[in-house]
Amino acid sequence: MTLSEPARIVGHMDHSAQAHGIIPAYLLARLAQSGRFTKAADAARQTLLAGRPQFRARLNLSIDEHGDLVAELTDAPNRTISDAGGTETLPGAVVRTEDDGPVDDASVNQAFDGLGATFELLLSAFQRNSLDGLGAPLNATVHYGTDYDNAFWDGERMVFGDGDGEVFRGFTGSVTVIGHELAHGVIQHTANLEYQGQPGALNESIADVFGALTEQYAEGQAADQASWLIGAGIFTDEVQGVALRSMIEPGTAYDDDELGKDPQPAHMSDFVRTTEDNGGVHVNSGIPNRAFALAARALGGNAWERAGTVWYRALSDGLSPTATFREFADATVDAASREYGEEVTAAVRDAWTTVGVLDAEGNRRTG
Amino acid sequence: MPKEIDAPDDRATADEDDLLVVAVVRTGGIAGLRRRWRVETPRPEAHDWLVLIDRCPWNAPAEHDAGADRYVWSIQVRMPSEERERELADSELRGAWRDLVDAVRDADAARTTKPGDPASRE
Repeated sequence: MTLSEPARIVGHMDHSAQAHGIIPAYLLARLAQSGRFTKAADAARQTLLAGRPQFRARLNLSIDEHGDLVAELTDAPNRTISDAGGTETLPGAVVRTEDDGPVDDASVNQAFDGLGATFELLLSAFQRNSLDGLGAPLNATVHYGTDYDNAFWDGERMVFGDGDGEVFRGFTGSVTVIGHELAHGVIQHTANLEYQGQPGALNESIADVFGALTEQYAEGQAADQASWLIGAGIFTDEVQGVALRSMIEPGTAYDDDELGKDPQPAHMSDFVRTTEDNGGVHVNSGIPNRAFALAARALGGNAWERAGTVWYRALSDGLSPTATFREFADATVDAASREYGEEVTAAVRDAWTTVGVLDAEGNRRTG
Repeated sequence: MPKEIDAPDDRATADEDDLLVVAVVRTGGIAGLRRRWRVETPRPEAHDWLVLIDRCPWNAPAEHDAGADRYVWSIQVRMPSEERERELADSELRGAWRDLVDAVRDADAARTTKPGDPASRE
C-alpha cells in the first residue's frame, strides 16, 4: 500500500517539538492502538494488516501556527544494501537495511544515501512512490566483482563495482550514477523502452536526466548552477577527463590518451550508427541529453519542476517501448502543452530543434 | 564494427597467414567506453591458445542480459584456416569464455606494459 497524499493529524501540545524519522514497527503497533490520533491509528492498522510487501512511512511531527502538534505520515524508502564481497554472485550478504544506521563501509553508506536521494526526487518532484509508484523496495549490491569498472541495473537491483583504482574509482561515489541506475528501474516500470538503438539511447538519456536531477534536487541547484555532468569524480586523477558524460556539451567530458575522446554527438546530424553497445545507446544518448539540459536552462529555476516534470510525464503517459527520438520529442511537447502552456511548450520544442530532432517549424523530421 | 583481428596499419603484414590472432572488444557499461585487447601468436606456438579457444561454446545460443548498463563483449579469432566471432552478454562471460578473455587481457598487458606507459592501466 501507499500514501498518495500525506495523512495529516493535529493534536495539542504544550511545548514546541520537532521530529523526523522512519516509523519503526513497534511505534506502528502503538499508533494502531491510539485513541488520540484516530486517523494515524487507522493508517497504522492498515499498514500492519497489509503485511507484505512491507510498507514504510515517515512520521513528521511539527507545531503549527496555533501551537498544535501536527503529525504527518508520508511515503518512505525501503532500502537494503548487500555486499558481494568481490565476487560476481548476487545479491550477496545484507549489510544495511532501512532500520540500520551508517556502517563502517563508505560504499554501503554512499549507496544507501544515493538511493534515498533518488527516492526523494521521485516523491517530491513527481509524486512517485519508488520505482513502481507502489513503494517497491530499493535493493543494491556493492563490491561486485574484482576491479569491476561498472555499475548496472540487472532488472531487479542496482549493482556497483569498486572500479580498478587506475581508471575508475568506486561507482557509488557519484549520486548521478546512483540516480541513473535507479532510473532504469523507473523506466522499466513505465515505458519499458527496449535497450537497443534509438529507444535504447532514450532509455540511457532519461536515466541520465534522473541522475542529474537527483543531484540538483539534493544540492538545491537551479538549472543554471548545475554542472550537467554524469559521473563527475568517477575517474581517477590519472584520467584526462571530468566525468563520464556532459549533458549540456556532449562529447566534452573526457579526452584521454588511453581512453580516447568522449564520443557523444550533440546533434542528430552526428548520430552514430554502430552494432556495438546495443546500437550505441551510451553514445547517441548525448542528443536527447542536450535537449533536456537546453530546455531546463531556457526555462530557468529548478530543472525538476518544469522540464523534469515534462520529461517524466512523457515517459509515463503511454510512451511506446520502441519510441524513437522524434516520438519522444513529440511526447514531451504534448506533455508541456498539457501541463503548462505556451512558454514551456516553446522552450521544449526549441530544445529539440537545436539538437536536430525537430525541424525549425516544429514539424517532424526523420530521425 | 572495426575488425580488431586486423593488424594495425603500421605493421608489416607479410607473415599474417602464420599468425593466430585473438581480439576482445568490450563496449557498453554505464561509461559506454570501448576497450579492446589483442594477442597474436605465431601458429607453431599457438597450441595453448587453441585449447582455450576450442573449449568455448561458440555455437551455444546467444543470451541477453536483462536490465541496463551491462557490458557487451565481442570475441574475434583468426586462424590460418578460419575466422570466428561471437558476441557475449556480460553474464555469459564465465567458464571457458572467462578463461579465454582473461588470458587475452593478461597477454595484452604483458605485451604493452612499460614503466610509465599509460597502457599499463589496462
